[in-house]
Amino acid sequence: MSCSSSEDVPDQCKDLFTQDGVLLKACIGRPIIDLNSIGMLCIVQNVDGGKCIEWRPNDLITIDSDSQDQEWAVVHTIGRRQRTLSGNMTSDYAAARARIIRIQIDELKTFRMTRNNQQMQFSTKPGVWQNTFYFQHGNAEIFLASLKNYVKTVKTRHDRNTYVVVEPTNEAQALNRSFAELDIFTENTTDVVWNLVSNFKQRPYETTLEAFSKLTDIVYYGNEGLNGKRDVSDEVADLLSKSMSALEDNTSVTKSDDYEVISVKPTLPPRPCIPRGAPLSTEKWEGLLDPDGRILEVDGVRQLIFRGGVAHSIRHSVWKYLLDYHPWSYTHAKIKSLQKKRTEEYFTMKLQWKSMTEKQESRFSEYRERKSLVEKDVNRTDRTHPFFAGDDNPNLVTLEDILMTYVMYNFDLGYVQGMSDILAPLLLLLGNEVDTFWCFVGFMEKIASNFDMDQAGMKQQLLNLQLLLSFASPDLAKHLASKDSGNMYFCFRWLLVWFKREFSHRDIMRLWEVLWTGLPCANFHLIISVAILDAEKDVLISGDYGFTEILKHVNDLSMCLDVDKILSTAEGIYHQIISAPHLTDQIRIILGIPTVGGRPEPEPSSSEETNGKTDEQSDMEEVMYQIGLDMNF
Amino acid sequence: MSSRKKVLLKVIILGDSGVGKTSLMNQFVNKKFSNQYKATIGADFLTKEVIVDDRIVTMQIWDTAGQERFQSLGVAFYRGADCCVLVFDVTAPNTFKSLESWRDEFLIQASPRAPENFPFVILGNKVDLDNRAVSAKRAQQWCQSKNDIPYFETSAKEAVNVELAFQTIARNALAQETEAELYNEFPDQIKLNANDNNRNRDGDNCAC
Repeated sequence: MSCSSSEDVPDQCKDLFTQDGVLLKACIGRPIIDLNSIGMLCIVQNVDGGKCIEWRPNDLITIDSDSQDQEWAVVHTIGRRQRTLSGNMTSDYAAARARIIRIQIDELKTFRMTRNNQQMQFSTKPGVWQNTFYFQHGNAEIFLASLKNYVKTVKTRHDRNTYVVVEPTNEAQALNRSFAELDIFTENTTDVVWNLVSNFKQRPYETTLEAFSKLTDIVYYGNEGLNGKRDVSDEVADLLSKSMSALEDNTSVTKSDDYEVISVKPTLPPRPCIPRGAPLSTEKWEGLLDPDGRILEVDGVRQLIFRGGVAHSIRHSVWKYLLDYHPWSYTHAKIKSLQKKRTEEYFTMKLQWKSMTEKQESRFSEYRERKSLVEKDVNRTDRTHPFFAGDDNPNLVTLEDILMTYVMYNFDLGYVQGMSDILAPLLLLLGNEVDTFWCFVGFMEKIASNFDMDQAGMKQQLLNLQLLLSFASPDLAKHLASKDSGNMYFCFRWLLVWFKREFSHRDIMRLWEVLWTGLPCANFHLIISVAILDAEKDVLISGDYGFTEILKHVNDLSMCLDVDKILSTAEGIYHQIISAPHLTDQIRIILGIPTVGGRPEPEPSSSEETNGKTDEQSDMEEVMYQIGLDMNF
Repeated sequence: MSSRKKVLLKVIILGDSGVGKTSLMNQFVNKKFSNQYKATIGADFLTKEVIVDDRIVTMQIWDTAGQERFQSLGVAFYRGADCCVLVFDVTAPNTFKSLESWRDEFLIQASPRAPENFPFVILGNKVDLDNRAVSAKRAQQWCQSKNDIPYFETSAKEAVNVELAFQTIARNALAQETEAELYNEFPDQIKLNANDNNRNRDGDNCAC
């Protein structure tokens, strides 16, 4: 490790990743004056092909006048792309350059994340943490994910947040290659990617990371920042004016009697644009089954489905796993016997109500009411779809039989409006009555709280949606609240039947299978809602829509929504939320990620939504990395 | 009253699931019937301009889900209603029996200024069907016992009495509206006072 190095940076050095707003908290052998200064943490490719982690103080990379406020320091990279410094800056520049910290990646032994993933410490010899960095903007997770592209690590047993470097660069590349050979991840070619988990895909890393660092530039300077042909003084003036307007945009002034309170409005990091992947194909699916029919790489499969959905031709198989009808670990033989058992079970329950005489029925009002409600709803479920159209359509009889058998399966819940909507696409796809029933049971497990008698589950979700929207799109949340719509009731239909009424059958199948993966966090369907609303933000706010207009507008979005675009936006919003510096425990709990104080407490009324996957999901990136290791066979 | 003012009448349709609320609304507004209307989830509304006593009024007709458990959320839409339409299915006696609780629930949740005078209209729907189970007489009697609520026998499918019923709904709602305006002689001043009160209260809070 070369902690201080003042040699000139060769021009061929290339930034692979940059993260702004990183505070140097501790560094062995550095004067105290250097500590607590802000800079940029980068992953750099040296001229010899080796890589290093580099921290550059802002003095080197900023031209920020007299601003003492680190929060608003205007960052400008001079180091690599432009070296047109002149005049009075040079002496400061040289001094600042001496303060660069460089850690060669092939010397790196161990590192750890602490303080709610906002702090990273590095060590080149066990027992001493030589460098400590504090990530002011968001957390170190994105940096960590990028770093993992260049080193192979394992987590230590005693501390989940400490990573030991197993082998540097070369090995990691071998890992990447093995992925490419396996070809189990999607063949996406879009190169603008900012996604933690997609680091494990086969696309070229450097393109990705370069795009990433360019993004930072664009964020700060717009496109001009990239060509570097402008005069420095122009740029200074420009940046100053931009920083001023940024200050105006991001601060609010509250006047009380004696003081003028200027507070900084917390802002989200820029929204990454995350392209969708290709659907899980037949070949890949078949390749994932072991000779006995077991699926071992469950998380990898989920990840693939989250990214691109499932090819229509294999949906009928894959859905049974996603809906917990077929356990992933079951062999063909075990599934066969399970199916036999479930078939018997189904027909036993079906017989229970089929064998009820008219006289029995006449003395059983609760049963009668449910039956009448089922009949009414079945007759008005998706009747425009050819599969359910026409008089005396046998598929309607099947719908009714399944719903009535479900009443016997779960008499406490019985039949609630919305269930026929949930069931119809399942029957349309699976065709088989028994399979459809058990898949329906699985789906209902995921959303049972939507149908609570007291509607507590729905109320909780609407509240959670409001909280997420306030965090992710505060202007819109404010507008809604001012129009008596803060209760989010206009989203009731979306949430009750998971957007069934908003999309065509084809699109709802895609959306549902993605949501069933439980990735990337709990309650992702609420972020889907945020994504749809955020896209309508301008219309709702600039049109000054009131209570009724909001409801009408939202209802009228039905069948006008682009499922892939929404999924992509929602994923971007998810990343914005989790990397926001002001992320609260309240939001973490909704998304099922660990709170600052420790593990999230189970939410009383929506524990079912999280499906007990909290730990897994919060550490998804880690899980994916582990899969990467596991699959390196 | 001033006829220059644009009048918006908010009408809420309530009744058990499957009695034909959505169909009645669509028959009145769009002159269409379909037996493929999906069960209403959440709430929706349609608007229609009608002429009542030479005045143009806009009716905003709200349709909500009929299943009991969804009512706790439906109440958000009751506020500011000018008339409430209660619908039952003449072939399903249970839906007729529910009218009472629908009416009570509405009065509790919407808490109109003068509950005893709040305009309701009862519609016995699906009279086109053969298997009628609630007689007109029985329905009429019940309506009379409830402060003479107007009663119509309708068929959304065959457009029987739908126009007539909604004309009455509009007229009664408008009468209610006009009365409310009469009570409210100085609405602007009242508004200002309310604001002042709020401000004072906020001030108090700050001082604490």
